[in-house]
Amino acid sequence: MTAVENPAPRQEEAQTYRPSTLQRFLPFIIAAAVPFILGSTTGDLNFWWKASITVVVLAVVARLAWKWTPRGELTHREDMRLWRTPSDRSWAALTMFGLLVLPFILASDFTPPMGFPWATWFAVVNLVLIFAMGAAAFNLLVGYSGQISLAHVAFLALGSIVGGIVGVQWSGGNMWYALPAAAVAGAVVGAISGLPALRLKHLYLLLATFGFHFVMMLVWREYLQEYFGFVGIRFKGENSPRIASWLHWLPGIDPDQNGEFVITGQFRWYWVLMPITVLSILFMVNVVRTREGRAFAAVRDRDVSASLLGINVARSKLFAFALSSAIVSMSGVLASFYIGSRGEDSFNVQTVLNYAIIIVVGGFSSIQGAIFGSAFFWFLPEWFKWAREELWFVRDIDFLSDYPSEIDLAIKGFLVVVILMFKPDGLAGLWRDFKSWFSRALARSNP
Amino acid sequence: MSDAILTFDDVTVQFGGVRACDSISGRVERGSLFALIGPNGAGKTTLVNTISGVYKPLPGAQVQFHPQGEPTEDLLAYRPFQIARLGVARTFQNLGLFMGENVLTNLLLGRYIHEHTRLIEGGLFTRRAVKRELAARQAIERVVDLLDLGAFRRDSVGDLPYGVQKRIEFGRVLAMEPELLMLDEPMAGMSVDEKQDMIRYIYAAQDELDMTVFLIEHDMGVVMSIADHVMVLDFGQKIAEGTPAEMQQDERVIAAYLGTEMVEN
Repeated sequence: MTAVENPAPRQEEAQTYRPSTLQRFLPFIIAAAVPFILGSTTGDLNFWWKASITVVVLAVVARLAWKWTPRGELTHREDMRLWRTPSDRSWAALTMFGLLVLPFILASDFTPPMGFPWATWFAVVNLVLIFAMGAAAFNLLVGYSGQISLAHVAFLALGSIVGGIVGVQWSGGNMWYALPAAAVAGAVVGAISGLPALRLKHLYLLLATFGFHFVMMLVWREYLQEYFGFVGIRFKGENSPRIASWLHWLPGIDPDQNGEFVITGQFRWYWVLMPITVLSILFMVNVVRTREGRAFAAVRDRDVSASLLGINVARSKLFAFALSSAIVSMSGVLASFYIGSRGEDSFNVQTVLNYAIIIVVGGFSSIQGAIFGSAFFWFLPEWFKWAREELWFVRDIDFLSDYPSEIDLAIKGFLVVVILMFKPDGLAGLWRDFKSWFSRALARSNP
Repeated sequence: MSDAILTFDDVTVQFGGVRACDSISGRVERGSLFALIGPNGAGKTTLVNTISGVYKPLPGAQVQFHPQGEPTEDLLAYRPFQIARLGVARTFQNLGLFMGENVLTNLLLGRYIHEHTRLIEGGLFTRRAVKRELAARQAIERVVDLLDLGAFRRDSVGDLPYGVQKRIEFGRVLAMEPELLMLDEPMAGMSVDEKQDMIRYIYAAQDELDMTVFLIEHDMGVVMSIADHVMVLDFGQKIAEGTPAEMQQDERVIAAYLGTEMVEN
């Protein structure tokens, strides 16, 4: 079996229509152009006009993307694409478009009817981005590699420590040094915290990693008291991250009066958090669909079988711990700088449970599920709050307004039980069902 | 010295008070089809597990692997994943497949030892990683064609019928391109047609892919028709060894395995 560099397409006789490169990318170019076109016509059109134009354009784009995709059996190169099917590609284009347009919509002075909580949404979206990154890494370890770990918050704390040492103490607010440093520290400490996994499984591993959580909490407390006292670390103000002056020529970066470009406010943070989250999630998705990621799944399912395929099970487990912890530590740095201060009680066991809720509701062992789960986790309280204040049939129930956070938790807990019972693959599973229904419906209308 | 690919000597495996294998010795000739037979509980799978490194035998045992053109390796010094990398692959009696993953992923896991994409390369999806991934998929295609698995590429393994699952597992070890292929009851629970297909596939593996086959099998008809050399185990002991024809005449074998009514005749 000699390795062939680029396999010949299978079933060339299928005579499928092959689009040119321009045709392939045209839908995406059009989709990318829409916000700019709409942005230049701010004067006369109101929000609903813009929204309807956008929807129509996107529908046309999705239709074209569907039409210009080769049918029949895929070549292996096509099969390896991240977005294989026409519907995958349409959804990806929609998501990209949404991510680019969202901050502009949220920053506009648009106010929806009935006091819908628009203003607070920007902060929630940014938190979702940070949590999605951490939850995806958590899911990679717990769901995908099968290594049950409770040390998640320990690595958020590690991120804050590295952020404090490298970002605040050494460089006075340079998050850009702290991020790679946290990745390296997270990978090393993560591999060490994964050592019990070589001997323990399931519940025992869970307890061992939980022990690691308390060790790290001790380190965090000692570090705080040694250098910062009880007030905690301040990541804002003079320690806020900023864009270096040699990058000020970039479009959209207009320095403030004092000649600095400080990353502050939801809009600017969005453009920092969104690319980092998207890239780190893409990284994890790529790991999962290549050699080492397949090995993770193999070790999870049957470790004896995996070792007889030539997989070094111990090494594979440690890699899973190192990768997950590196990304969680980075999300810890981002969270510290975004939230602005971290004190003694910033990290607790409750947060581990929150992440567990996120990955169970979103969908176990699905990276996509982590995104859905964290969106659910942060938006649910917002919607609940809105319903409590605005909806006439909910507004008058005193019980709901008296115990808001308890009822939040109760709803989340109830949903976890419901999802575990009726839809074990969570929101990601629901989404997959919807997508396959949608593409079947499309295929029926395009025989 | 004739050309042996595997020699094992004085292999004794003990679980508590039970001797699953009691000082078993033997040799497998390069390019041959070696069959290991015996009633249930005879210690066949234990022997294969010892050779592939899952069980450790009592001291004094020797298991040596002689790869083509390479120095002899003492398999007892290695861990299972290292033995797999040396070129000794095996299947499982009750399937070692990853049921939640699709067929392609299962087969690609067979290429794990031949691909060399690192974690970070894979995560960045570099050009080199893509090239290696394509090469692995190309190697898989040969196995897919050989075993007629083309229709199932993206199906979840757990949803497929048992006969197909057996074939997928066989395909996965073929993708590993081992020198020595150990098959633990590849035909258990199959229909006659499926068994004939499997025999065809084993021949194809032996001839086209140049592998030595070490086969555990219960079906005497199959063993007698395809094996070059047969070893018979009973209660952890080797009771006979020779060509299939010799084994059919051997009284101990007949008594232990083929049934007593043949002795009465």
